[in-house]
Amino acid sequence: MVVTQASPPRLSRWLMAALPYVAAVVISFLAAGVFIAVMGFNVLRAYETILFTSFRTPNGFIQTLLKFVPLTLQALAFTVPLAAGKFNIGGEGQMIVGAIGATAVGILFAGAPGVLLLPSVLLASVLAGALWAAIPGWLLYRFGINEILSTVLMNFVSFQLINYVATEIWPDPAAGHPTTVPIGEGALLPLLIRRPPLHLGFLLTIVVAVLVYIYVTRTVYGYELVATGANPRAAQVYGIPVQVLSVLALVLGGAMAGLAGGVEVAGIHRRLIEGLQSNYLTLGILAGLIAKGRVVAVPFVAFFLSVLEVGASAMQRTMMIPGEMVIIVEAFIVLFILLSEVIRRR
Amino acid sequence: MTAPLVEMRHIHKRFGDVVALEDVHFELQAGEIHGLLGGNGAGKTTLMNILYGLYTADRGEIHVRGQRVLIHSPRDALHLGIGMVHQHFLQVAPFTVVENIALGTLPRLGGKKHVRAAADRIQALAQQFGLAVDPHAVVEDLPVGVRQRVEILKALYRGADVLILDEPTTNLTPQEVDALFQSLRAMVAQGLSVIFITHKIREVMAVCDRVTVLREGRNVFTRSRAETREEDLVRGMVGEQLDVQHSFLFSGRPQETEHTAGAPLIQVHDLTVLGDNNVPAVQGCTFTVREGEILGIAGVAGNGQTELAEALMGIRPIAQGEVTINGYRVRVGSTRHLLARDVAYIPEDRLEDGYLPAASVAHNLILGYHRRPPYSRGSFLDWPAVFQAAWRLIKEYNIRTAGPTEIAANLSGGNIQRLMLARAFAHPFRVLIAHNPTRGLDIPSTEFVYRKLLEARARGAAILLISEDLDELLLLCDRIGTLYRGQLMGILDRPAFDKYRIGEMMAGVAATQA
Repeated sequence: MVVTQASPPRLSRWLMAALPYVAAVVISFLAAGVFIAVMGFNVLRAYETILFTSFRTPNGFIQTLLKFVPLTLQALAFTVPLAAGKFNIGGEGQMIVGAIGATAVGILFAGAPGVLLLPSVLLASVLAGALWAAIPGWLLYRFGINEILSTVLMNFVSFQLINYVATEIWPDPAAGHPTTVPIGEGALLPLLIRRPPLHLGFLLTIVVAVLVYIYVTRTVYGYELVATGANPRAAQVYGIPVQVLSVLALVLGGAMAGLAGGVEVAGIHRRLIEGLQSNYLTLGILAGLIAKGRVVAVPFVAFFLSVLEVGASAMQRTMMIPGEMVIIVEAFIVLFILLSEVIRRR
Repeated sequence: MTAPLVEMRHIHKRFGDVVALEDVHFELQAGEIHGLLGGNGAGKTTLMNILYGLYTADRGEIHVRGQRVLIHSPRDALHLGIGMVHQHFLQVAPFTVVENIALGTLPRLGGKKHVRAAADRIQALAQQFGLAVDPHAVVEDLPVGVRQRVEILKALYRGADVLILDEPTTNLTPQEVDALFQSLRAMVAQGLSVIFITHKIREVMAVCDRVTVLREGRNVFTRSRAETREEDLVRGMVGEQLDVQHSFLFSGRPQETEHTAGAPLIQVHDLTVLGDNNVPAVQGCTFTVREGEILGIAGVAGNGQTELAEALMGIRPIAQGEVTINGYRVRVGSTRHLLARDVAYIPEDRLEDGYLPAASVAHNLILGYHRRPPYSRGSFLDWPAVFQAAWRLIKEYNIRTAGPTEIAANLSGGNIQRLMLARAFAHPFRVLIAHNPTRGLDIPSTEFVYRKLLEARARGAAILLISEDLDELLLLCDRIGTLYRGQLMGILDRPAFDKYRIGEMMAGVAATQA
């Protein structure tokens, strides 16, 4: 057989790769605009609020970066297992348990100096998240139980756990909502910028994202992860311990989701508050899907989604348009990107 | 010359960007066996799938018995008396022969009587053409050769008088091949016509009246066998790319220079391996492969070859016995240690076992060797070195791809095979376990692989070559063992090679002398 078509030159191939993304974003905004218009709001002002709130004031920008931190970590918690072909839908529970671990250390050793306490708090969140993911990992390894199911179910267990910790073990009686007493002063993340406050977690997230990128694309372990995700059977035939790697990938994901919990406690809330996980799991999965599992793209997509999120709450405040509108936009983006994949395959 | 029975004119067919057939002509005279010869990707099967209604041509006409016809489905083809036997049989394994053959033709009511009538008709056909088969046998119990007869009888039962056979000798023993050829002769003697798709020149010379050669989707020539020499067919199939005079493939393995086998590198003692259904697939096998030696494993597919290869590579558990390769005692999970000890592996199932469709060509080329220099240093991959090696391998092994970053899912079957070979041969292995290494390759690539294997042998590698192609084994091996239902029926030395004896062993007759 003869292949007749030559491969197109490099630049146009890049454009072809970018095209579906640009198109997906534009079409999604247009579609959401229809909804907004039908509800009787000013579409252009809504667009403007969504896209530019993050960049108009220092406060808006810092808000965006603070969203970016847990969102990126959650996106990586989803993407790294995905590279090995495993779906971690348990980021929410792993984040909660990470937050619990951080809080426990932060309260129990409240008097310890910051040099010791802060690293211990963060380490506790990482370990707790990893442990929470290791349970589904072990079930997968030992009994072949589907990780999608088990990671989701572990989320529900974590809801009870946080409730118990915040109402029974270290409850703050003054708070009207399940909340613990504050963690020690030494456990708090130092600020990079004082006003508006931006904590060190931002830098930490960038470092984690870079390390993950190096791990996945530059090391032999990352190669084995990718090979496992690309075809587990062939990876096994060529000597890669795929079962161990699947578990490892889930545990790594759990560690990062756990860190997200620890950073929220040590950087924002200074205590454990029920509901601190917000909707970061959903956003993280969306970010991972939009990035099509490429770790290099994850922080950028996460930043873009953070901008939309901050814009959404501003839109809700100032224009009374439901902030969920932005979730619709995000969902459309994912759908159109998946659709473009189908079209390309035709 | 009388008007042809079947005539295909100006047939064009594309699959996406790939031109499968371009302006192809084909004609079949009544009462002839017409060989359709070509390498992989020549378009033989595509052309016949068009005649049988599985594909429709983009352009072109088909005439049957002088009438222009449109064939949209195998049902249309059968109406015109055209039947086809594919390489992979579509049979209901737990059903009997009659049930399989008469499937869809029996009336719903009055079963017994009709079944008996059908069985009688099948018996009659079987006798008429020498296709011995018990109509009441259950299909899954039958050997491949008999299952093929069932498939041929199915076409005849439905009234086909033009029979298309796609690579019918794959997986047959030499005895079964002879029997098949006799049946084909009986068919044409009684007025049927046969189209015989093959890539084996010898088979064309043995049984065909005329031959049409295709190459890269185009006609090369159509001639009667009487006025054709083997060399013409070789040239027709490969064009001018191959130096036929100096080809192993057509002139045999070069004469031995002084050669003595050295230390044992693969030692297998009393090996038993379970298949996927937990029934022993390999039983009590014992053999040794030494330095500078190629041991072939012959056998009809599904007689334990895959399980043997996987157990040796540490992919499948060893139920009983011992395997030592290059001084290393193999257990399940040993694979990475074996690869690190210069043991190379070419798996049979390239799509499932051999490549990473979702990763790049470069990722694929280093699979299993990614922990070695030059591909990596310590924990880090050296991508510039990987890409450099990848470009070199792509060129040397003639892998048709846009480059190392292309997604491997875009590669065709033959290119995936070349990629697997490039991966295995890129390192100077001490031991090679290769299962059907030339499947899906064109002739020059096959020749290239043979050259590589013999080179490796000459430098002292031990090679276990598991192949369903007996000619390949006879050409390359120093010794040949035959697997039948998981048991080694005996190992013959090169001077004792005899196609028919190996054929008997493939059918389960043990070698009389050890």
